[in-house]
Amino acid sequence: MDWTEYSTPSFDELIDPAGQPRPAARRLVEYLSGLSGRELAERQDAADVAARVMGITFTVYSDGRNVDRTLPFDLIPRIIDRREWERTEAGLVQRMQALNMFIGDIYGAQRIVRDKVFPAELLEHSVNFRSQCVGVRPPLDVWAHICGSDLVRDADGTLYALEDNLRIPSGVSYMLENRMVAKRVFPELFDTSAILPVDDYPSQLYDTLAALSPRPGDLPTIVLLTPGVFNSAYFEHAYLAQAMGIELVEGSDLFVADDDCTYMRTVYGPQRVDVIYRRVDDLFIDPEAFRPDSVLGVPGLIRSWRAGKVALANAPGAGVADDKVVFAYVPKMIRYYLDQEPILPNVPSYLCHDQDDRRYVLEHLDQLVVKPANESGGYGMLIGPRASREEREKFRALIQADPRNYMAQPTLSLSTAPIVTANGPAPRHIDLRPFILSRQDTCVTTGGLTRVAMTEGSLVVNSSQGGGAKDTWIVDLDEEGHG
Amino acid sequence: MLSRVADDLYWFSRYLRRAENTARLVGVGSLLQLDLNRSVRFSWRPMIATVGAEDLFGACHPQAEDADILDFLLLDPRNPSSLRVSVEQARELLRGIRDALPQEVWEAVNALHLYIGAEGSKVLTRRYRVDFIHHVTDGCLKVGGLLQANVSRDIGFQFLRLGTAIEQADMTTRIIDAGASGLVTPRHEEDREAYQNMQWMAVLRSLAAYQMYRRHVRQRVSAAHALRFLLHNTEFPRSVLFCLVRLQRILPAMPPRPAVERALTRVTGLVRQADPAALAAGDPTAFMDEAQVYLGQLHQAIAESYFAG
Repeated sequence: MDWTEYSTPSFDELIDPAGQPRPAARRLVEYLSGLSGRELAERQDAADVAARVMGITFTVYSDGRNVDRTLPFDLIPRIIDRREWERTEAGLVQRMQALNMFIGDIYGAQRIVRDKVFPAELLEHSVNFRSQCVGVRPPLDVWAHICGSDLVRDADGTLYALEDNLRIPSGVSYMLENRMVAKRVFPELFDTSAILPVDDYPSQLYDTLAALSPRPGDLPTIVLLTPGVFNSAYFEHAYLAQAMGIELVEGSDLFVADDDCTYMRTVYGPQRVDVIYRRVDDLFIDPEAFRPDSVLGVPGLIRSWRAGKVALANAPGAGVADDKVVFAYVPKMIRYYLDQEPILPNVPSYLCHDQDDRRYVLEHLDQLVVKPANESGGYGMLIGPRASREEREKFRALIQADPRNYMAQPTLSLSTAPIVTANGPAPRHIDLRPFILSRQDTCVTTGGLTRVAMTEGSLVVNSSQGGGAKDTWIVDLDEEGHG
Repeated sequence: MLSRVADDLYWFSRYLRRAENTARLVGVGSLLQLDLNRSVRFSWRPMIATVGAEDLFGACHPQAEDADILDFLLLDPRNPSSLRVSVEQARELLRGIRDALPQEVWEAVNALHLYIGAEGSKVLTRRYRVDFIHHVTDGCLKVGGLLQANVSRDIGFQFLRLGTAIEQADMTTRIIDAGASGLVTPRHEEDREAYQNMQWMAVLRSLAAYQMYRRHVRQRVSAAHALRFLLHNTEFPRSVLFCLVRLQRILPAMPPRPAVERALTRVTGLVRQADPAALAAGDPTAFMDEAQVYLGQLHQAIAESYFAG
C-alpha cells in the first residue's frame, strides 16, 4: 500500500501533516505499506466473508437477501493513543455522572432550576420530559445506565462531545463484531502491538443490569425487550441477548400482575422478571402510561417500575437529557453537580433563546449549523455554508419566531482516517461512539464504534445514509514511543 | 423457555410436516394417474376434502379442473394448508426463533421457500411434477434431519417433537380418508376390488409406508390390512398409534400438565379400540373425523397448558 499520495486538509487520525504516521499508528502503517495491492484486496475479501459468516446468524433475510447487516466495514483500523484515550474516558465518566445527577434532579427537587443554572422554560418545552417519572428514585439513583456519546475531532485536533444518546443507543454489537473481523484479518498486529481488548462489554453490561435487581442476593432474571424481528436493530438485540445468556422477549411475552410484579410467560408458567434491558422507546413501553395504541409494550410496566418491583434500563424519562438544547448545559451541570471543570469540551453551542447568542447566530448564519432542539436524525437542520440565501432567510424568520426551539453550532471539519479504495488509501471523515455503562461506578468501552462517511468529502456517518465502520484500537506505546 | 418461543417451535415443526405430507399426497396421485387404464376415472377431488377445504375450494374454483386442484393444494396462497403457505408459515415463525435453532435450519427452509417460489408453476405440467415433489420432500426431510442431528435435547426440542407427532397423526388420518373416499372409480363393477386395492397401495405409498407394509404384513394390500397398518402398527413412524405412543414418551420430559395427559389418553384409547376390518368394510370417514377432533382437543390442551403463559 502506497502512502505517498495520501493527504487531507482535515486532521488525520493516522497520518500527520508531514505525511508521517502518528506514533501510535506507526506499526500499522509500516505493516500496510508492506502489503501489495493484491494482498490488501485479499484481506478485504476475507474481512467481508468473516463479517458475513459471523453476522449471518443474526441477519434478517428478505427473500434470501441480507437486509440487515448493510454496514460496510473498512479494513484499516482507527488508532487512538492510550494516553489520549484515558483522558477522554475520564471526560466521559465525568459527563455521565453529571447527566445522571441532572436527570434525577429534574424528576426530583429540581435544585438546578431553583438555583437558576438551568432555565425552567426549557423543561416545559422538552418533548422527552415524562411527568410519569416525577418523584421516582430508581436503584442506585442511576437513570441512564447505557449511554452512547458521539465524539468528533475538529481541525485543530481537539476531541469534542457532539451529543449523548441516553434513550436506546445502538451500535455496540458492530464494535464487538468489527474487532472479531480485525483479529482474523490482522493476527500479526495483535501479536506485536499492545491493542487493548473490547470483548468485556457483554459481561460489563450484564453486571450493570444485574446490579439493578430489586431482589439482591438471588440470581436475577434479566431479559432484553425488543420491538421484534422487523426492528432495524434486531440484529443487535439478538446478539446481546445471546452474548449475555438472557432471554430475548417481546412485549407480549411479559405481563404485570396484581402484585405489581412483572412476569414472563414461560412453558413452566409465569416467571418473575427482575431487570429489563429495554430497547423499546419510552412512548411505546406501556400503553397504560404512554401511547395507548402501542402494541410493543407491556401494560402496567411503569406501575411495576414505580413500585420498585422491576428495574428498567435505561429508566423511562432518561431522554430528558438527550436534547440538543439541554446538551449545551452539560458543562454547567458538571460544574454545578460535581464542582469540577469539564474534561471533555462540548461542541460550542449557541442557544437562540439567549439574546447575545441569538444575535451571534443571526449574524453568522452562513457559517453555522442550526438545529431544532427536539428533532433527531438530522431533520429540520440548516447547514449554513452549504445553504442558499433563501434557506438562510427562512431560518432567520424561524429563529426569530421561536428562538427557544433553536440552537446553532460551528460547522466542524471532522477528522479523517484512511480507508482502502481501488486507488490506494484515501481519507474519509469519521466520528466515534463510545458506550458508557453506569452502576455504582461508571465504565467506558475501550474505544468505541468508529463510524465512517464512506463517500468522499461527506460528513454524514449515519449507517442509514451510506456510513460504514472501522475497528477502533486503543494502543499502548512501547518504550520507544511506538504503537 | 418462553411460551411464545415454544409455541413457534411447535408450529414450525407442524407446518414442516404438513408441507411434506401435502407434497407426498400429490406425488402419489400423480403416480396413480399414470398406472390407471382407460376403464377407470381418476379424481383429485377427494384430496381437497383431505385438507378440510371443500368450501373454500368451491368458492375459489366453481368449475374444478385437475390443474385447479393441484394449484390449490400446492401453490394457492388462499389455501391456508397449501404447500406454499405451509413453508412460508414455517419460515416466518423461524425468523423470530432463529437463535433457538442451528443456522443451517434457516438456510434449508429458506432454500425450500425460494425453490417453491421459482419452480412452483412447473408442478402444473406432468413432465416436471414428480421432480418437483421429490425436491420438496427431500427439502423437508433435510430440515428434519438437521433438527434430529444438531439440536440439543432441551425443552424446546420436545416442542418440535410434539408438533411433528401430532401433525403426522393428523395427516395420516386425512390421507386414509382421501384414499377411502375413492380417488378412482371403475367403469365396470367387477373391477372394483382390484382398483380399490390399487388405491390403498397409493395411500401406503403416499405415507412412504408401502415397503414397510410389505415387510410387516407380508400379504397383498387390502383395505383392512392397510388400515390396520396405518392405524395400529407400533413400529412404522407414520402410523397413528406410533405417533401417539411417541407423544406419551415425550410428556415425561415436559412440565406435567394433567389436561394434556387426559387428552392424549382419550385419543389413544379411541385409536386402540378402532376395528380396522369393520372400518374397511364400511366407510372410515366418520372415524377419521372423530380422531381429528380428538387430536384437535389434544392440541387445545397443549396450547392452553404451555403457550398461554
